[in-house]
Amino acid sequence: MSKGTQLAGGATLIALLLGWYAMANLQDGSSFAYFQNLEDFQTQYQRDSSAMTGHLRVHGYVAMGSIDRDVPQMRVLFSVQNDPPHAGGEIGDLLPVVYGSLETPDLFKDGAEVVVEGRLAKPHAGAPMVFHADKVLAKCPSKFEAKTPQPTSL
Amino acid sequence: MSELGALSLRFALVLAIFGIGTGIYAGISRNPQWTRVAERCLLVVAAFVGFSIAQLFYALATFDFQLVYVAQHSARSMSLAYRLAALWGGQAGSLLLWLFVLCLYSAVCVWTQRDRNRSLMPWVVAILLANSVFFLVLLCFVSDPFERLPAGHVLSDGNGLNPLLQHPVMMIHPLVLYAGLVGFAVPFAFAFAALMTGELGTNWFRTTRRSTLFAWFCLGVGILLGGRWAYEVLGWGGYWAWDPVENASFMPWLTATAYLHSVMIQEKRNMLRTWNLLLIGLTYTLCLFGTFLTRSGIVQSVHAFAQTPLFTSIFLGYVIANAGVFLIAMLARRGELHSPQRMDSMVSREASFLLNNWVFIAILMVVFWGTLFPVFSEAITGNRIAIGPKFFNTMAGPLALLLLLLAGIGPLIAWRRASMESLRRQFILPGAAGIATSAVLVVWVGKAGFYAVTAWSLCAFVVASIVQEYARAIRARTRRGEENALQALWVLLRKNQARYGGYIVHLSIVFILMGTAGSALNEERLENVAPGSEVTLNRYQLRYLTAEAIPEQHYGGAVARLALYRDEEPLTVMTPEKRMYWLEQQPASIPSVYSTWREDLYVILTAIESDGSATLKIYRNPLVNWIWIGGVTFVLGSVLILLPDPRVGHRTSAPAA
Repeated sequence: MSKGTQLAGGATLIALLLGWYAMANLQDGSSFAYFQNLEDFQTQYQRDSSAMTGHLRVHGYVAMGSIDRDVPQMRVLFSVQNDPPHAGGEIGDLLPVVYGSLETPDLFKDGAEVVVEGRLAKPHAGAPMVFHADKVLAKCPSKFEAKTPQPTSL
Repeated sequence: MSELGALSLRFALVLAIFGIGTGIYAGISRNPQWTRVAERCLLVVAAFVGFSIAQLFYALATFDFQLVYVAQHSARSMSLAYRLAALWGGQAGSLLLWLFVLCLYSAVCVWTQRDRNRSLMPWVVAILLANSVFFLVLLCFVSDPFERLPAGHVLSDGNGLNPLLQHPVMMIHPLVLYAGLVGFAVPFAFAFAALMTGELGTNWFRTTRRSTLFAWFCLGVGILLGGRWAYEVLGWGGYWAWDPVENASFMPWLTATAYLHSVMIQEKRNMLRTWNLLLIGLTYTLCLFGTFLTRSGIVQSVHAFAQTPLFTSIFLGYVIANAGVFLIAMLARRGELHSPQRMDSMVSREASFLLNNWVFIAILMVVFWGTLFPVFSEAITGNRIAIGPKFFNTMAGPLALLLLLLAGIGPLIAWRRASMESLRRQFILPGAAGIATSAVLVVWVGKAGFYAVTAWSLCAFVVASIVQEYARAIRARTRRGEENALQALWVLLRKNQARYGGYIVHLSIVFILMGTAGSALNEERLENVAPGSEVTLNRYQLRYLTAEAIPEQHYGGAVARLALYRDEEPLTVMTPEKRMYWLEQQPASIPSVYSTWREDLYVILTAIESDGSATLKIYRNPLVNWIWIGGVTFVLGSVLILLPDPRVGHRTSAPAA
């Protein structure tokens, strides 16, 4: 065998080992997670909600005035809508979320862009859809680059 | 005034293009006069860029809100130090800083090499200027730091800098990081020049040894500072999140570290010539790619600046072109790159170094795919995907342990071929130390789990091997009776600084990995407490005393006062804050940390609830301080390696640049 073949063989072997290791260890969904926006999520729910049993991630925006911190029960209730509330479009169907913790991110507030992770409470048709989140990620789209200043004319 | 800044960038651009031409001509014609011309071009370009950055600093210092950049990134309420630091708070300024650092490196390189490496220098100058030209084009035509507001518009105040960036560490973290990322341009340029001239011996990397080490050192420190800042400011209890931009600076550090090891094999055994060129090419490409990731925003990250498609395509094109030119030069020389030496045995130091290189590359692959998979996934399938830290920890963790093992083994085996007898003699003590440690740990903190116990045992193994190396060398010197142990240590560190300084760097990595493995014992708790009541975590009790309004000018919010006890014994009062920055409308949770060498108690004020109670997130982070102790050790070891070599005067061609 030439040196090149040996090298390629060794590299392939290592790549396969790493791949196997990744497959064996990373199948619980907390490492790779696809997320959908709320509209796709709702469409899928109407079509076939029985399949939506696993760990889910939904992207949307916190509906204005919907945040309710339920301190005695250690949870936060809020609703998610598909489009940013400041855009002024239709609100559409809201997704009620029960977040089982008081630990909300700094950027979590009315209108914030969020990804909620968790499960659907009753994944069958007809039942009101409630999302039980175990994780809430909030982000500010222009976190580090400030917006263009609004010039004031003299 | 600021028109001059923009103008000098344009002068620099024209001159740099001219300099590339003269450099190439001088390289082909081997005409020393034209080499001088190219070098002087480079120095003048550097001067113009220096003048330009000084202009921007001046504009920031004097509240010149006519400039869009100044208006966007500074405000009257900011102190002078933070106003100056705002230069790297946004895109255009960071690019200018990148260019300035590149020019500084280039100028220092031209100056120190003014009487050396005459055949390499034209190509070095040409490639360095070519890199400058790219940034000059961006600054002149795409992302102009001197862009002005339309005439007639007057701003009384600016937007201010992101408050999270207004932190002492953030003033130097970008500088240090850039000094690291950009610094690899110098070895890259020399490697390129070696390829162009066919002088493929050891000269190109010996010449750039110090600048490579310096860049690697800065990059390492920059990464650590970033971790420290995250820990103190971002308020999530951690220091490293495998965020795309953290990864962007970590990837070149991995390949650079691999290079520093493999280049020793070329030095000692004249092997791996192709590999070393590839590694330095890859390192600099990853530096550029990292800058691209940060500045283009193609990967969603807390650091990324949103950017235009034009910027993305230009930058990506440049990264690919730069790497492509290097690869083509390598292909053209492939016949001459064949190393005359072969590996003698798999039980040898060079074999262990080679294995170390493979592991570094494997970690790089993991980080690379983990970082970019979401981008590919969205481009191909349209699905957005998030890859969590668990992927990186699971994949890179075992590889890091393997590296730790190799760091203990490498120094213990001889070059070429190690005999069984020498292996037994070298391994018996460190091996015993490792095994004894793991036995103790299994009994004492077995609940930390397999990985943590293995990591700490390997740490003990490496520390023992380092101590043994030092002890043997010191004993060999003191046996002659002329020196005491301390003098012998000093002589060792001065005469063989690369080796014994290198061991100290290994020790720092041991500390850092020991600290990260401590996370296996982390505890956290989220609790809502009414004033006067207590929350307990492990041996600590926190009593919530009161909350007060923050009386600052730029931000408001609340600070909670919490009395901390350990085993009922009072320790201190902790003051986590929940801030709201008025101008930027940005909230921030500033944690309060009680730190000891054993563990940190880290408290975040999640919220003051409407009933007056406080919601607290409390972390107990064991061993986390060792990461910062490791950071200081890293600085010490690197400085030791970087100190001027006392033997320089005796050499014909001294390492420099």
